[in-house]
Amino acid sequence: MTYLALVRANLRRNRLRTALTGVAVALATLLVCLLLAMPAGLDAFVSRVASNTRVSVINRAGLVYSMPYSLVRKIRGLPGVADAMAVVWYGGAYEERGKLTFPSFAVEADHFGGVYPDYHIPPAELAAFRQYRDGAIVGRATMRVYHWRIGQRVTLRSAIWPVDLDFRIVGEIPNADLGAFYISREYLDQALQAKGLPGLGIAGLIWVRVAQPEAVKSVMRMVDDLSRNSDAPTSSQTEKSFFSSFLATLKDFMTIIMAVTALVSLCIVFIAANTASLAVRERSAEIALMKALGFGRRPIFSLLLVETVLLCALSGGAGVALAVGITTALRVFAGRIPELGPLGAFYVTGPVIALGLGLALLVGVVSGLAPAWGAARRPVAETMREVF
Amino acid sequence: MVSPTDVPQSIVLRHVSRHYHRGADEVRALDDVSLSIPAGSFVAFMGPSGSGKSTLLNLVCGIDRPTAGEVIVAGQRLDVMSEDRLARWRARHVGLIFQFFNLIPVLSARENVALPLLLVDLDRGERRRRAETALRVVGLEGRADHTPAMLSGGEQQRVAIARAIVSDPDLLIADEPTGDLDAKSAEEVLDLLRTLRRELGKTVVMVTHDPRALRFVDHAYHLDKGLLLEGHAAERARAALDLGLGREPGGGQGLGSAAP
Repeated sequence: MTYLALVRANLRRNRLRTALTGVAVALATLLVCLLLAMPAGLDAFVSRVASNTRVSVINRAGLVYSMPYSLVRKIRGLPGVADAMAVVWYGGAYEERGKLTFPSFAVEADHFGGVYPDYHIPPAELAAFRQYRDGAIVGRATMRVYHWRIGQRVTLRSAIWPVDLDFRIVGEIPNADLGAFYISREYLDQALQAKGLPGLGIAGLIWVRVAQPEAVKSVMRMVDDLSRNSDAPTSSQTEKSFFSSFLATLKDFMTIIMAVTALVSLCIVFIAANTASLAVRERSAEIALMKALGFGRRPIFSLLLVETVLLCALSGGAGVALAVGITTALRVFAGRIPELGPLGAFYVTGPVIALGLGLALLVGVVSGLAPAWGAARRPVAETMREVF
Repeated sequence: MVSPTDVPQSIVLRHVSRHYHRGADEVRALDDVSLSIPAGSFVAFMGPSGSGKSTLLNLVCGIDRPTAGEVIVAGQRLDVMSEDRLARWRARHVGLIFQFFNLIPVLSARENVALPLLLVDLDRGERRRRAETALRVVGLEGRADHTPAMLSGGEQQRVAIARAIVSDPDLLIADEPTGDLDAKSAEEVLDLLRTLRRELGKTVVMVTHDPRALRFVDHAYHLDKGLLLEGHAAERARAALDLGLGREPGGGQGLGSAAP
């Protein structure tokens, strides 16, 4: 007979109640871990795909407004700029799915390798992209989803431009986080002109690669100075800031979710406290007996508190394990299900695990404290009068 | 320490009173009781409901403290001890037996018996060994792994007795130990208590309504309305008990029922 055996026996006393309390705590911990993993996951995602020496240039009025295409040539002439490339949103949908499942952009093939050296695209594939005007370079994530291979032809129907174009995949970006589909700007321009439409005289976004990290700030200033007094003044920021600002909206939303989660956790504390109170009340006779046998306030208090804390700790552990399992599964399936988006980048890190377990322990302590203290401090004669 | 007399006294009560307040009224559960119980004796407190016998038992085993007077048990003044000190004292000196056995239903007989040993600095193996020895003393060594629900009333009470003796206390306190048992089991329990007193030298104090107990005890104290009856009053109470006039259907209400 040990104290632990006594705790175990008491937890098994009402298995359904123990299980339900455990599930409530486990789900709360799971929820908290997943939500805490989101910002870290998004930041990690941005770190993996974004660079500090690449700068985005957009119309200061917003991303939906364009800039004159001539601007990109001026930018290439600025000191400290290694290369620059105009980008236009193509908005292509793959015929077999009929909806936008990956982003597609029309880019300048001659400058693609210069702007994205960190993509490590083989030179032969970059050369093919420059050589074939219908060539396309595709991120590995999308290649895996559709089981495409280099040399394959695919048709993308544009949701923006009145053209459906056939492409020949000539290269793959060897990064499993990336799924963008890059086509040649020249090809889209000619296709539009062939339909009697004006060609692409605009750039929706300009990517600029800066030669040296220390020159980034001055390049951004010079770029924005180029069009300061024009009809389309620009706003420059690093690629990391650019993606982060996209995700900031999501993070704001997550703050609301976190507040709701905090309230849910608080509710679970009350539920667990209520359960602990019920359990203590049900066992009044046994607690009175133990006091009569000589168990003082401290062992009674510890015993009752440990029961709640142990249950919450085990349940919290299960919740954390579930969170790790779910995020691992998301990462595994992210390559096959593009709809998962950044969800596939979520990691339950060590600090998140510690925080989840800490929260579960806190729930255990807070919910067990009052019933345990109440039971322990009552005089034995009073307790026995009530129950015997 | 109490000054010894020729025979060592296990329990000494000096002018002990226990009064309660019920609203504005004062209830005199026990009034100026003095007595001495020699070590190694088997005594019973008898009397009708509300006579103060359970209050007296609570005072003797350190569960309650008197309003006035001195309670000295096993050489210690209980009336001046704090709650925590009393708990430690009970763990060391008192074995408790209740009318309704009060075993913990989720524990086996062995675990129930070993429960008080959690308060003693012993390793797990030694606790187990002592619990099995105590079960052997009460003749239940074959039932060690049974939970209370799998035992008869008489067997449960014997498990409770094993729990009371497992930490080798000086004093066994039994509150209506036969109150919930059939006649045969009641006789067995009374006989067992007498054996424990005789062979292990325990002082056994029992509250009971059961007239059969008179055949087993060394002395019976009779109480009525909080007073200890002596002389002719005690004789009359005993005679009434023999005739079954003092017996209450269903027995008493137990240790905790002492106070309002």
